Amino acid sequence: MSNQSIYQNELDNLDQSKKFLQRENYSQMEMQLEFKKLVENYEELIDQVKIITKISDRLQKKLNKTNDALESSNVQLADLNNQLNKTIDQLTEAKIGRKAGTIVMFLAIGLFIISEVILEPIIDKAFVDQKYVGLALKLVVAILIKPGEDFANNYMLKKARKQQMKEQKEKMAIEDSKKKKKKKRKVL
Amino acid sequence: MDNLQIDGTRQTPEISFNAESGILKLDGRSIPENTFEFFTPVLNWLDEYVSSAPDKVVAKINLEYFNTSSSKYILEILKRLKVILGEGKDVLVEWYYEEDDEEMMETGEDYEDVSGLPFEIISFEEE
Repeated sequence: MSNQSIYQNELDNLDQSKKFLQRENYSQMEMQLEFKKLVENYEELIDQVKIITKISDRLQKKLNKTNDALESSNVQLADLNNQLNKTIDQLTEAKIGRKAGTIVMFLAIGLFIISEVILEPIIDKAFVDQKYVGLALKLVVAILIKPGEDFANNYMLKKARKQQMKEQKEKMAIEDSKKKKKKKRKVL
Repeated sequence: MDNLQIDGTRQTPEISFNAESGILKLDGRSIPENTFEFFTPVLNWLDEYVSSAPDKVVAKINLEYFNTSSSKYILEILKRLKVILGEGKDVLVEWYYEEDDEEMMETGEDYEDVSGLPFEIISFEEE
């Protein structure tokens, strides 16, 4: 309806010319006048079509430019988002690494105390002639510190990643339900 | 004659036509879903205004973007201003565009050519 109405004047002019053609009698003068009017209207219509097409093409160009700029901003935004995620991952890893290091250190201290207070006297009694057994035990504890730290680090990192994924899933579920609600509202 | 005031939205421009001062402002974005419905009151107002316009009429058009059917209605608005000019009144169209918006500047020049109205193409800095 709206498209028809935009050209209401032009349609009215066309109707008038059609009605004139349906007349059975008209003089040469009347025909000339009607034809002149038709030509004038046609000329104006061509001018309008030319200018509207030109402007429309130009504004389409403007729209394309804006879309390109938007696309490039989106790419930049995605890059920044990736960088941010990487930094967050690095920070999380560093934090977990520190935590794991602290835990293993306390564990090593605990084992050292246990070996000094409980195991050492037992070993001294059991292996009177072999002085190096206690030392070997301490050496084993010391060697196990690094792999222990790595194990604790990996375990905690896995746990943190699982937690991150869970949070992400929850976030996506909330966004999905929001989108569904919006769609429902549009349908209504 | 009453003024014509239509608030702008994300899809339609603000229309602020002051009958007494002769300042007719068209400002914003024109992509209405139904251009006929939006522009019919504007054209009707201008049809009536032809007989009561003051000696000087200035149309200030500042459009960021408009769709094809709006471009036809802008032509119709200019046609009515031409009628006012034909009545012996002083009519000026001020066409505003953002300084890097080459397309809108050229569009103003095209309207100037086709309408035969006095135009001033004015650039302004982006806010």
